[in-house]
Amino acid sequence: MGEFRKVLELFWVYLKIGTFTIGGGYVTLTLVQREIVDKLHWVEEREFLNMLALAQAAPGLIAVNTAIFVGWCVSKGKHRWAYITAAVLGAVIPSIVCILAIAIFFTQYKNLPQVESVFKGVRPAVVALISATVIRLATKI
Amino acid sequence: MIYLELFISFLKIGLLGFGGGMSIIALIQIEVTNHGWMSEPEFLDIVGISQVTPGPIGMNCATYVGYTATGSVWGSLVASVAIVIPSLIIMLTICSIYMKIRDKWADNKVYQVVMRVIRIAVVGLIAFAAYRLCSKASFIDTTSYVICGVVGVCSLLPLLKKPLHIENAHWKRVIDTLSHPILLVVLAGAVGALVY
Repeated sequence: MGEFRKVLELFWVYLKIGTFTIGGGYVTLTLVQREIVDKLHWVEEREFLNMLALAQAAPGLIAVNTAIFVGWCVSKGKHRWAYITAAVLGAVIPSIVCILAIAIFFTQYKNLPQVESVFKGVRPAVVALISATVIRLATKI
Repeated sequence: MIYLELFISFLKIGLLGFGGGMSIIALIQIEVTNHGWMSEPEFLDIVGISQVTPGPIGMNCATYVGYTATGSVWGSLVASVAIVIPSLIIMLTICSIYMKIRDKWADNKVYQVVMRVIRIAVVGLIAFAAYRLCSKASFIDTTSYVICGVVGVCSLLPLLKKPLHIENAHWKRVIDTLSHPILLVVLAGAVGALVY
């Protein structure tokens, strides 16, 4: 039962990460560092950096590759597939749901002036978040 | 059969997409043009929307192309699943090899130095990504610099915990809340909506 709750927790954390990965995949790194490394201590800081190296070297989406590695690390060998599936699904479900909603109902989404305004605010924030992640990771090499 | 074509195309993209996001978009564009799934402006619109919606850009783009090419939700699912399959197989292989090496050589000096160099390189790569984002698209006026500065300072607050000897649980909580990336992104978006 404890295992099942941990899988659900991983799914939930990754759902949050997937939802707020806005403005490029590198924001995922900031979120994973915050939620999985700092807060839950499921992956150690150095392990996280080793994992990023592998996730970037492998083909495919870096966010998905990272999710697979996190699932692997958190599982500690037990129910590995459940953890990996939970992390990957959490990472991609927000993306699929949003895109489908836009494709089906709001085809004019991108042309809304409000969307552009929000993103004018988010873009410089993303630069700051990623730079801060670089500084924090650099102190832990 | 268009679903099979979609599946194979995105399997290929997932397998050959080295370097993440933007290189994957380039591969998707090649497949889209070769199959004539949509016109060039239509595809550019999709890329634009993929950048301003939650989720990894490559995944957004794959989902959208799958939907537009088939006109059905199943197309989206086929494309999304296909792009993840190579990642799964390759990452699982890499993970198991890495874990074996790590357990065996954890005390080996050479291994430790090599991993350290790799970690430095990774931080450098992320720094480069941040540098590339510092473009005119991100910084349009003074407000952009203010947002960037405030978010930067807030996200570095946790680093002050140790040097300032902050032990008080209340202040720790304040710092953790203020430096939360989700909160900062939402606030920056709200500021953008108000100012622009």
